[in-house]
Amino acid sequence: MHELGIARDILDIAVAEAEKHGGCRITRVDLEVGVLRGVVPENLAFLFGHVAMGTIAEGARLAIEEQPARVACEACGPVEARGFTIACPACGSPAVKVEGGDALRILSIDIDDSLPAREA
Amino acid sequence: MKVDIERQIQQSAEETAGKIRDLLAARKVFAVNLISSPGSGKTTLIESAIEALRGKKRVSVVEGDIETDIDAARIRKHGVQVHQINTRSSCHVPPFLLLSALDHIDLDATDLLFVENVGNLVCPAEVPLGEDLRVVALSVAEGDEKPLKYPLVFKTSDILVITKTDLLPYVKFDPGRVKAAARAVNPRVEIFEVSAVTGSGISSFLERIEELCGRKTG
Ligand SMILES: Nc1nc2c(ncn2[C@@H]2O[C@H](COP(=O)(O)OP(=O)(O)OP(=O)(O)O)[C@@H](O)[C@H]2O)c(=O)[nH]1
Ligand SMILES: [Mg+2]
Ligand SMILES: [Zn+2]
Repeated sequence: MHELGIARDILDIAVAEAEKHGGCRITRVDLEVGVLRGVVPENLAFLFGHVAMGTIAEGARLAIEEQPARVACEACGPVEARGFTIACPACGSPAVKVEGGDALRILSIDIDDSLPAREA
Repeated sequence: MKVDIERQIQQSAEETAGKIRDLLAARKVFAVNLISSPGSGKTTLIESAIEALRGKKRVSVVEGDIETDIDAARIRKHGVQVHQINTRSSCHVPPFLLLSALDHIDLDATDLLFVENVGNLVCPAEVPLGEDLRVVALSVAEGDEKPLKYPLVFKTSDILVITKTDLLPYVKFDPGRVKAAARAVNPRVEIFEVSAVTGSGISSFLERIEELCGRKTG
C-alpha cells in the first residue's frame, strides 16, 4: 500500500523539476530503488501511471533500477544480497549487518521540449 | 532532454525521525513504538502499562489507526494524555504525522510515550519513528511461523511480546518455535510471554520497560 505515497512523491518532484524547465511533457522518470525498500516495481509503475493521469507526466515511463543490498558478515566480509536476508547468504551466520539496498532516489527525468506543455 | 535530479524520495522519513529523536531527547521522553498485526493486544498492553506504572512513570499515548478514535477513547478512560492519529490510506504511522501529534502532548509531563502503530506486521517495520525502543507483539492465535514470514519486524525490534498466552490450550502454537525463529533473525531480541486475562508475565515485561525508560529519563 505504501507504493501510492511513493508514487505521489515521485510525481511531485518530477513535475516541480519539469516546471523549472518550462513545464514540458515528462516522457520518462529514472529511479533507483533498493531491494530492501519492499517496493514492488510493477505496483509502483502502475500507481505512478494512475497518479500521473491529467498531469504533464501522463504516460511517462517509470524506469526502475534495482539497487542490491550488501551484507557485512563477521566471517565473510561484504556479500551481495538479492533481497532482505536474515543470515549471511554465503555462510548462513545470523551475525550480519545489512548495508545499502535502501535507496529510494529519483535519478533524472526526460522531458520532451518539442511537445507543447499540456494543461495540468 | 534529460534533466538530472539525484534526489532522495522520502528522505524526509529519516530526517523527520531524527527530529523526533532530538525532541524526545531534549524533553527526556522515552518512546516505545508498538507494532503488531491487527488485534494482537497492543491497546490492551498499553492499558496494563498505564495502570501498573501509575505513580512511577507519567505515561502518554499516541494512537495510530487508519480510521476512528476508538483506541484513543479506551486510553482516555485511564486518565492519561492521548492523541489519535488517523492515517487514512497509510498502512503505518509516518514520522511526519507523529511529529505533529507530539504538539498535542505535554512532553514535559511525560516520561514514557507509547506510540501504537497501525495494525500491520509489514510496513511499520520499514519506517523509523525516532523511537527508543521497538516492541513487536504476536498473539498465540496468529501461528508460530510469523517470524519466518515477516522477518523484518522481528529483526528490527528490541523486544518481542508473545500475547494472549491464556489461549495456549486452545491453539496450535509452540512458544519455543517462535522464540527460536525470532532469535534466528535477531539474536539480541528480548522475549516476554504475557496474558492480559490472567496477568501472567505482564509485570516482568513492564519492569523491563520501566528500567529502560529510567535509564533515559532518570
Ligand atoms: N484472551 C485474551 N484476549 C486478549 C488479550 N489481550 C487482548 N485481548 C483481546 O484481543 C482483542 C484485541 O485487543 P486490542 O488490545 O484491541 O488489540 P490491538 O492490537 O490494539 O488491535 P488494533 O488496534 O485493532 O490493531 C480484544 O478483544 C482484547 O480483549 C489476552 O491476553 N488474552
Ligand atoms: Mg489498538
Ligand atoms: Zn558469512
